[in-house]
Amino acid sequence: MKGIAHFISGVTVASFCPWAVEAAQNGDPTYFILGAVAGILPDTIDFKFYRFFYPHDVRIEPDQTTLDPQPIADAVAAAVSAAAEGKITTLKLSTIKMGADDWRQYRVKIDPEAGEVRVQFGPVVSTGQVPQPDTLPASRSVGLAKFSAPILQSYEPTYTVDIFDGPSFKFTRNDAGQVEIDFLPWHRNWSHSLTVGALLAGIASFWTWHAGVVIFGAYVIHVIEDQMGHMGSNLFFPFTKKRAPGLKIMHSGDAFPNFAGVWLCCLLIFWNVYAAIPNPLYHFTFVRFMMTALVIPFAIFGIVRWLLMLPDKGHPESIPTSWDI
Amino acid sequence: MIFTALTAVLAGTILSCFLAILPGLHIYNVMGLAAILIYWLQSMGIAVSPEVYLPFMIGLVVGWSVLNTIPSVLLGAPDESAIFTVLPGQKYLMTGRGYEGTMMIGAGSLIGLFMLVFIIGPFAPKYLPVVRYVLNPHMHWILWVIITFILITEWPKGGNRGPAGWRKFFDAWSTLSAGLFTFIISGLLGFLLLYRAPVSIENAFQNIMPAFVGLFAIPWCLLNAVSGAKVPEQRVRDTLNINGDLLLRSGIAGGIGGGFAAFFPVVTGGIGGLLAGHATAQRDERVFMMSQGVSKVVYYTGALMLFFVPGLYLTRGGGAWILKGLYTPRTVGDYYLALGCIAISGAVSFLLMSPLTKWTLLLMKKVDYRLISVFALGIITALVFSITGRVGLFIMSVGTGIGLIPVLYGSRRLNCLGVLLLPIACNMSGIGEPIAAFLGLL
Repeated sequence: MKGIAHFISGVTVASFCPWAVEAAQNGDPTYFILGAVAGILPDTIDFKFYRFFYPHDVRIEPDQTTLDPQPIADAVAAAVSAAAEGKITTLKLSTIKMGADDWRQYRVKIDPEAGEVRVQFGPVVSTGQVPQPDTLPASRSVGLAKFSAPILQSYEPTYTVDIFDGPSFKFTRNDAGQVEIDFLPWHRNWSHSLTVGALLAGIASFWTWHAGVVIFGAYVIHVIEDQMGHMGSNLFFPFTKKRAPGLKIMHSGDAFPNFAGVWLCCLLIFWNVYAAIPNPLYHFTFVRFMMTALVIPFAIFGIVRWLLMLPDKGHPESIPTSWDI
Repeated sequence: MIFTALTAVLAGTILSCFLAILPGLHIYNVMGLAAILIYWLQSMGIAVSPEVYLPFMIGLVVGWSVLNTIPSVLLGAPDESAIFTVLPGQKYLMTGRGYEGTMMIGAGSLIGLFMLVFIIGPFAPKYLPVVRYVLNPHMHWILWVIITFILITEWPKGGNRGPAGWRKFFDAWSTLSAGLFTFIISGLLGFLLLYRAPVSIENAFQNIMPAFVGLFAIPWCLLNAVSGAKVPEQRVRDTLNINGDLLLRSGIAGGIGGGFAAFFPVVTGGIGGLLAGHATAQRDERVFMMSQGVSKVVYYTGALMLFFVPGLYLTRGGGAWILKGLYTPRTVGDYYLALGCIAISGAVSFLLMSPLTKWTLLLMKKVDYRLISVFALGIITALVFSITGRVGLFIMSVGTGIGLIPVLYGSRRLNCLGVLLLPIACNMSGIGEPIAAFLGLL
């Protein structure tokens, strides 16, 4: 899920702790801040610290003037072949920044059935990954390189490289002789484990066990939310070495689950602080509250969206990009 | 009475057209001046009826919140609430689609007005007093959590290339450190302004204004004035590349962000926009731009509207604070008057958006883009000097120095809001005075 969803989930966990609400009522925001920070901490560790120290054997930095896909395909295929020969290889595909908000997009496909890597350059996209008009390269040749090794994919076969930091891979030969592709090996690894959450909670408990409970709850909810996606997490590091596959219910960037999650968290926080009022001036039940603030608004949203999408099926004018990989 | 109110709201709206085109000028400064004029007239024995000044002030705020998109996109001079629209807006401008970009944000503003009058308006008196009652003791930690979110979610822009190690780490953290530094130093400036207000007591209501102008408006004007960018020929397109689905998504994203900012103290339109953008995970830049239009209108106009909501009478935003000194709303009639004024002023402002955008584009054809920025710089400097004097200019200069840090290092400009967020959050948690004492301000 997106950062804000993890963040607000951590706050929500704190709101379920009576001592956190009581402290807040007395002007002490510590537990809520702890919950928020612990909720987003696994991603903060990965994206703001660990990834800068993760070494790559091969770094591919495409030339933005020639836009030649062949060297990229060759380098990826060579990394797969090296792994097949027993050399664990890490590889990074760099992004191509064209301006303050412009990035050249390209795609890499590692096709296990054809035993080849295919690469093609695409349009310039904004940081929102929206293609910009008239930016496709004049030549859209496909770079192709062969490898001869069985592949075990843990993620999707096609990787789009465009904004911020590019993707990285770890190629390892397993006991069955297959080359395992570990997508973003520095992400959702040790930082996304329940054991690390427990360790941090234990350290916090030296101050007070209340803080330990909040931190552990917020950390665990992050790992659980990520488990809904495709990549999964390394749940019991150091006892487990690999990520447990996700449930594949959603993608982390999907708008609706993220928004629904954030909204639900806001409502739960509201309910928890309302429930902590000794003699409330206003009276309403949990069911009525959820009907008013969640069920009815979302139902209206669904109907209005359906009506608005009738004319063009929800597909506004956009710039399509065709890929030949 | 209706004719008087109608005339006053139209006058306010028309005046806001001119004020909105002036880059860097904030409507609250003009409202402050209008309030001084009303006080002066009253002291001279000339009574100004609320049926005149209330619609007039509402017209000013609504018209400005809709139309200040024009300088934000075309002249690159955003106020704090519009800082996120600038990048995509300027991209539209630099690809000859400045008109389209402006009208797209304008369409967002229209959605925002629709939400205020037809959705929030009818339900606000029933639900918002409950929300306020429940959340009132918790405002302080909500503010701290928002501050944490702003600081923790800044994305490292560097460190994407080269071998792993400390060099890469420091490259990435240069933007993050600049952001943190900006927040802390803005916060210290805020403490100074709060505990040792240098502006004279008569103009105390404009205490924060020179700092805001320095933090947000001046850096942008300076950057425009020295930039060598040449604005290409602009095309005027008859239709906007949007549909109902995009309108709905931007309405929800912007409505939540703007509404949140309008309801919670110290949370500004920029913060609301940031939270809404993250929460709704919108990637399409059309949705993004329209949602910022929605957010801006819901924030400025909504905050003023909350002042009139029966059973709530919430004072949020500079506009409401200025009005509070003049008038205390008491009846449902006041609320309907405000809603009616918002509807009329919003409709007129939106209709004026297209001709005003075309007129600005014509002006940009004839007058150099940089010259307009220098002119704007002159106007806002003169305004700061006329209201707050030399001390105001000094505060503005300090603010400009801080405001240039994120511009130069590529960090979030929102960190400049530390000027408000840090001292007020500290005060709400009861630690403001000890910190001020530690800083030697007491």
